[in-house]
Amino acid sequence: MKCIITIELGTNAVRVFAFDLNGNVIGSMKGHYHTFHTGPDYSEQDPEQIFITMLYVLKNLLNEIIHPKKYAVASICFSASMHSVLAVDKNGVPLGNAITWADNRAKKEAQELKNSPDAKTIYTATGTPIHPMSPLLKIAWIKNNSRERFALTSKFLSIKSYIIQQLTGEYLIDYSLASATGLLNIHTLKWETGALDYAGISAGMLPDLVPVFASAGKLKKAFQNSLNLPADTKIIVGSSDGCLATLGAGIWDEGKATITIEDSGAVRVVGKKVLQDERQRFFNYLLTEDCYVSGGPTNNGGIIFEWFTKQFGDFKNPFDEEQSMEELIAEASKVHAGSEGLLFLPYLLGERAPIWNANARGVYFGLNIKHERRHFIRATIEGILYEIYSIGKILEEHRTINSLSINGSFASIPFCTQIIADIFNKPVNLRADYHSVGVGAFLLSATEMGIYKTLDEAAKTIDLPDKYVPRRESHAVYSSYFSIFERLSTKLAEEFEAIATLQEKDAADSGTNKVLSKIKLT
Amino acid sequence: MNQFVLQQGHSPELELFPHIVELGAKKNSSIQLNSLPESVSDSIRIYYVIDGKFEWNIHHQPYMLYPGDVALILPGQAFGSEKGFLEIGSLSWIHITIAKLESGEVVPGKWSSLSESESLTIGKILVLNNSLVLSKLNEAGRILQYIQSELFNQHIGYCTRVNHLIDELFITITRQLTRQSNPARDFPKAFMQLEQTLRQNLSHQWTVEEMAAVVGMGTTLFNEKVKSYSGFSPINYLINIRISEAIKLLKKVDISLTDIALDTGFYSSQHFSTTFKKLTGYTPSEFRKNNLPHN
Repeated sequence: MKCIITIELGTNAVRVFAFDLNGNVIGSMKGHYHTFHTGPDYSEQDPEQIFITMLYVLKNLLNEIIHPKKYAVASICFSASMHSVLAVDKNGVPLGNAITWADNRAKKEAQELKNSPDAKTIYTATGTPIHPMSPLLKIAWIKNNSRERFALTSKFLSIKSYIIQQLTGEYLIDYSLASATGLLNIHTLKWETGALDYAGISAGMLPDLVPVFASAGKLKKAFQNSLNLPADTKIIVGSSDGCLATLGAGIWDEGKATITIEDSGAVRVVGKKVLQDERQRFFNYLLTEDCYVSGGPTNNGGIIFEWFTKQFGDFKNPFDEEQSMEELIAEASKVHAGSEGLLFLPYLLGERAPIWNANARGVYFGLNIKHERRHFIRATIEGILYEIYSIGKILEEHRTINSLSINGSFASIPFCTQIIADIFNKPVNLRADYHSVGVGAFLLSATEMGIYKTLDEAAKTIDLPDKYVPRRESHAVYSSYFSIFERLSTKLAEEFEAIATLQEKDAADSGTNKVLSKIKLT
Repeated sequence: MNQFVLQQGHSPELELFPHIVELGAKKNSSIQLNSLPESVSDSIRIYYVIDGKFEWNIHHQPYMLYPGDVALILPGQAFGSEKGFLEIGSLSWIHITIAKLESGEVVPGKWSSLSESESLTIGKILVLNNSLVLSKLNEAGRILQYIQSELFNQHIGYCTRVNHLIDELFITITRQLTRQSNPARDFPKAFMQLEQTLRQNLSHQWTVEEMAAVVGMGTTLFNEKVKSYSGFSPINYLINIRISEAIKLLKKVDISLTDIALDTGFYSSQHFSTTFKKLTGYTPSEFRKNNLPHN
């Protein structure tokens, strides 16, 4: 019996799945690693910890499930979070930690490029919004602020490229992940000269470009031995988490969109053409050369409700966030749609699509004397989902969307899924087990093996059994409140900037005056 | 309230308790200049505020203490009043000598009936924590009172009782220390803080009890939470960190394998080598050879 293994190098953890050739999950395991915030705006991960965690989890899955059940591993396919950057020296040794997608240190670089005439050319060529998340700007930041590291750097890799290089010795990146670097021309599939010049690097300093189906070379001998895998085990380069989650959700036709909400979130559509947006609000990432995944990302997904739970949940059992969250949701469900006029803007982490405003902040609006705790709970959830709708709405200016497919731990909470159906006024499909990225990687591998002729055919096999139907009355309520939500999001721009500036100043002051804050605490 | 001061070497009450350096309670109704200048001591000093408001410097940080608060001053840390004098108010205190092991760790001492591992854990938590003022710990004030009355009344069994009470004081303070830094809500944050502590003290032979104590959890709950959150048992998670740090060091030329093994918390280079090979397929020296400059 053969099986396909998928490895997802995610934001907080590596998830390894094993599928049989019919797409059934044989087993799965995860291993967590930390994100380090060594400075304001910094989000870094230890590349060696990611590598070792991946190796450890893979080994455990093989030893505990795959080898005892006598499965032969046909292929191992990778996926990873987008936008990571890891500088390595001429021996391939990391120069510091990997910089993750959530890192905002290149704020200044992003603002400068945005204001320059090159912005439009680079965005149109690369499809990646000009934002600190983009590796283009992270590399520019290293060039401007970390000269010694820049001088020592032989290559700028993605985390996935580093992990694959450790396993096989090859420096590779697939077109798909590369299309999220801000450095790849998504029309010609070559590194974009203008972007390379801006970052101050040559194409030779990036990994070699290969298709998502490409083999990443042979596992090094030592790993063949320690993992007990044959030399001909196929290592497939794979794609990014965003593109594979879309594929795994069965989204392949026009007329459909997928909504993913974990800590952060995104609304995505798939098509044969790039979405050209005058205001540069969308990303356009490649899955294969004739398939673009387009959409908009939000910073403020489930992480905002987690924040709310930590502050206001009951925690009857210590550290039991799940239980506290369930109780809050039960309380929220007793409130009518629209939270009786309490609105919430969820921009605690600044916001990307559609307002692209790093200074945006959270707001409760419309509070009156009758509002209770339960209204706050419901308003918080509705606010997170209005934000998702605001991305969907601008996508609809370009594409018709008839139905939605949902994935991610927050979006697939039934209470949230129903609200999504109601706000969008569209039918929603989901599968309760939320591992679309793994399923996407499986479909990719299975297509590579010839089980499916095309990715199109593979995507069509996805059957999402649970359906949520929009409720007319709720939709009417949400629509009227949403128009206020939408106006507030842009109307408050000046005040957002003013308060963000003050907050930054305050944080800097309390940094130098830690002593003062200590007195306040004691 | 009875005011008193017992001092080792002067007060016969302390003859049987060489580890108690000083025990006292004071109601200060007038200000005397230079009554509390900054000082450093070898013993661990614990002050409990009964009444009043005190501005103290502990380890060069200013703190404001209110009734119910406890100040904890570790051996070697400076302690004194901001203005040099003791402010008006009431307080009680105890100074205890603490044993320093060859490994550099501190433990309560031979008089204590804490088990060896709990003793080590408590020592570790005391040293690791940087919050030196514990708020609203009335329990500590009560324990100090019991110690006083046991010492003055000398009823049958008081020797054992006094030492038990000091153990009790250490346990109460340690629990409050960990609880204060983790309000039992945010596990990811607590786990993050633990990882930072582990990375800063990687050469220490961590036990699960110690790790659980750092985040203020019982061992059972801790095991369960770490497993479900990280996918690994606490010890395996720690091995992950050890190996990742070792890999970084192996990629540098100038550190010997034995040093790497000890720096990253393995018992020996043999233990390091076996664990490393089991996980990566390479022995540390093979791994180093593969990753060094080829010239």
